[in-house]
Amino acid sequence: MAKLLLTPENQIQRLNTILNRVEALQALSISQLSTPPNPKSWNVLEVLEHLTIAYSSYQTKIENALLEVADSPNGAWQYQPRAWQRLVIKGQKPKGNKRPFKLKTLKKFEPLLSPTLTKDEAQAVFKRFQTAHGMFKQQVLASRNKRMKHKRFSSAIGPIVTFYLPEAFEFLICHAERHMIQIEGILAA
Amino acid sequence: MEQPAKSILLSFFKAAQLQSEQQAYFLNLWKEYTFKQNELITEAGRIEKHFYVVLEGVQAIYLLNQKGDKVVLGFSYMGSPSGIFDSFLHQKPADTFLEALKPSRLLGISRSDYLSLFEAHPDFHKWGHLFFQDILFGRLFREVELLTLSAEERYTAFMQRCPEALKVIPQKYLASYLNMKPETFSRLRRMMN
Repeated sequence: MAKLLLTPENQIQRLNTILNRVEALQALSISQLSTPPNPKSWNVLEVLEHLTIAYSSYQTKIENALLEVADSPNGAWQYQPRAWQRLVIKGQKPKGNKRPFKLKTLKKFEPLLSPTLTKDEAQAVFKRFQTAHGMFKQQVLASRNKRMKHKRFSSAIGPIVTFYLPEAFEFLICHAERHMIQIEGILAA
Repeated sequence: MEQPAKSILLSFFKAAQLQSEQQAYFLNLWKEYTFKQNELITEAGRIEKHFYVVLEGVQAIYLLNQKGDKVVLGFSYMGSPSGIFDSFLHQKPADTFLEALKPSRLLGISRSDYLSLFEAHPDFHKWGHLFFQDILFGRLFREVELLTLSAEERYTAFMQRCPEALKVIPQKYLASYLNMKPETFSRLRRMMN
């Protein structure tokens, strides 16, 4: 982890991988999408809704930071996250096909979906995810040739963790990757 | 389409031997795309939508290694083809990025229109044969160079054959293409000059 060097290209590639996987999930039946592996767990649609909430909670913060950054004459940024932020990111980052450990979800990030969704409602969950994910990816792209000099902003859990843009991007991508592993687990159960 | 663009395109597809009435249909299938410097034309993980022919600018095709560093596989420039061909042909997500290293203008054709050319004009198979033969021989030649030549020899061989357009792109891309560190590239450039 010490050598973790963030680049927008790496992040864009991983965001595309997530998007391709979610697009493939759309072909599954409503029963596969809305059945949790056990009564206490989320189903696939709830995981996607949770990711939409997570993306949305950072959207304005990222947008404001993007207003501050200037063009870079050196092309795309490269960034090494700070020590504390590296630890926070590491807490989300999957190790291979495993989530490092389970994390308790804050109430504001819980998906509030009916357990019995229609096909149209399920499609609306996908649509919301794709919109939020697409906007997030556009923000990564918009940052790409900028200098990462801006005021730090608080993470969605509060000022105990603050982020520069590359750190926030990495945190959200690792978070999404973590939940993609959860989805594979739900489908395999 | 402007005359210089037509000339570049028809010259690139010379082997297809298009008659004048076929040329009008052929030229209509192409659309011009412009990209800013450092803009990503195609992202790894997405499907390549076009086969391009370059009108202006320089583009690099690269992938990311395990450390996240860019590994440059090749360049395109005026008059050359561009795009991520395996993704374009197989309609699978690309493993590589295509980036405009300089402001770029490219003519692009969609996959369905590209494939229709082979159906409508059998001579396109002749062009396709020659085109993919050139690509294959080019890759083999490069592999031999990478495996057998020293860094200095690779630098010299590349500089002798590389078009002027490539000499002005950031050194780190050229160094990566030649499988050497930017510092080595810089040292060789100083030495040779």
